Amino acid sequence: MRFAEFTPYDIVLLLQGLGVTVGLFLITSLIGLVIGVLWGIVRFYRVPVLMQVITFVAEVLKNSPVLVQLFLVFFGVPAFFKLNMTPVSAAVITLSLNTAAFVYVIAVSSIESIGRDQVEAARVFGLSRWQVLRHVIAPQAAAFSIGPLTALLVNQLQVTSLISVIGVLDLAKIGATLNLRTLKPFIVWTAVGILYYLAAKAVASLGAWAEKRLRAHSAFRGL
Amino acid sequence: MLKVENVKKAFGPVTVLDGVNLTVNPGEVVSILGSSGSGKSTLIRCINGLEKLNAGKITVDDFDVSKPKELAEARKRSGTVFQLFNLYPHMTALQNITLAPIEVLKRPKAEAEAEGRSLLAQVGLGDRADAYPAQLSGGQRQRVGICRALAMKPRYLLLDEVTSALDPEMTSEVLDILAKLAKDGTTMVFVTHEIEFARQISNRIVFLEKGVLLVDLPTEKFFADDGGLAQPRVAQFLSKMRKD
Repeated sequence: MRFAEFTPYDIVLLLQGLGVTVGLFLITSLIGLVIGVLWGIVRFYRVPVLMQVITFVAEVLKNSPVLVQLFLVFFGVPAFFKLNMTPVSAAVITLSLNTAAFVYVIAVSSIESIGRDQVEAARVFGLSRWQVLRHVIAPQAAAFSIGPLTALLVNQLQVTSLISVIGVLDLAKIGATLNLRTLKPFIVWTAVGILYYLAAKAVASLGAWAEKRLRAHSAFRGL
Repeated sequence: MLKVENVKKAFGPVTVLDGVNLTVNPGEVVSILGSSGSGKSTLIRCINGLEKLNAGKITVDDFDVSKPKELAEARKRSGTVFQLFNLYPHMTALQNITLAPIEVLKRPKAEAEAEGRSLLAQVGLGDRADAYPAQLSGGQRQRVGICRALAMKPRYLLLDEVTSALDPEMTSEVLDILAKLAKDGTTMVFVTHEIEFARQISNRIVFLEKGVLLVDLPTEKFFADDGGLAQPRVAQFLSKMRKD
């Protein structure tokens, strides 16, 4: 038999794929957020050399296709440095760094959006640079950045589907497998699409909730 | 003692302060008058270390503001109130006031809050401790701004046109508080356009013109015909300001 009908077990397969997608998304988002914010802090302190290196790396990551980065990490790096690379580690490394580059941009612009008057008001009372960052800039920058950050994460969730091409069994890969087995692309890709949609919607709602909380102090900011 | 010695400050080609000398003794209220662009705000910004001096020296109780290590001490001794309030929008009135005492002076939180509440009560905002700046009127915001400065128990209060952004009613709210502080013996450096008020509360008035300190006289003398008014520029300034 060259192909087969759907079975109830396919739902489990799809959910497994969704689990892999969401899991990788959460891990890479978390790593990307941490790295991107750290890069932003380096920039805030204007650490010489390191700051230029970070800006360059972020530029490269932002301006090249994720698929190319993925191939480079999965095929190129292991071949050049003679080491082993599993599809999942390649996916985690690539997506984390890619997210970090965009988080960095958002972090920098949010920090810069906080007026000098705020920094000065804190500095004249003797707060250190770190205390100013922590108590005055960070909370306001967080409220400012949550919108663009949510948009970024929703996009990064879709981008995870690229890792299926290096053999990670994520939702897209499961979809491709089911499609080959059943030869019912319309049904398979509709189901896969709905699952991605629901996951993205969840991320967006979470972002909206966080935004509302972070901006509770200033109704006028939403103008 | 707060001492400004031969201070020069330029922004690019524009000289803003050109050899300013000023001494403020504890307990004094010194008002700084002068037209817009005369360097009044820049002088305040030099005293609290927000601007670097091109030449000269400023000391607050002998702590040199141009030395990073001493600036921290100098800043603990001077409290600034800003023209545009500069409150932290994400913090309540009380949090605005207690941030620096807790973080810089390492005061226990409960103690700092109790003091913050009592300061707010003194300026008639006892019931607004938990309001955010966006929920307060301009006059209320500036009163919080004054409390924020007072919470650090500064020896010198630097006031940079603190009523310029307020309407007359709100201005009087704020001036009443300053009058009270002056009466209690708070040392103040008061940059203002409120000439009548400056006359009431000041021990001394200095007049700044194009970055040069033209006149530095006791208040009565400043307004006397043979004192400040003998200076044509001061007479001109006062007559213009009094028309409105």
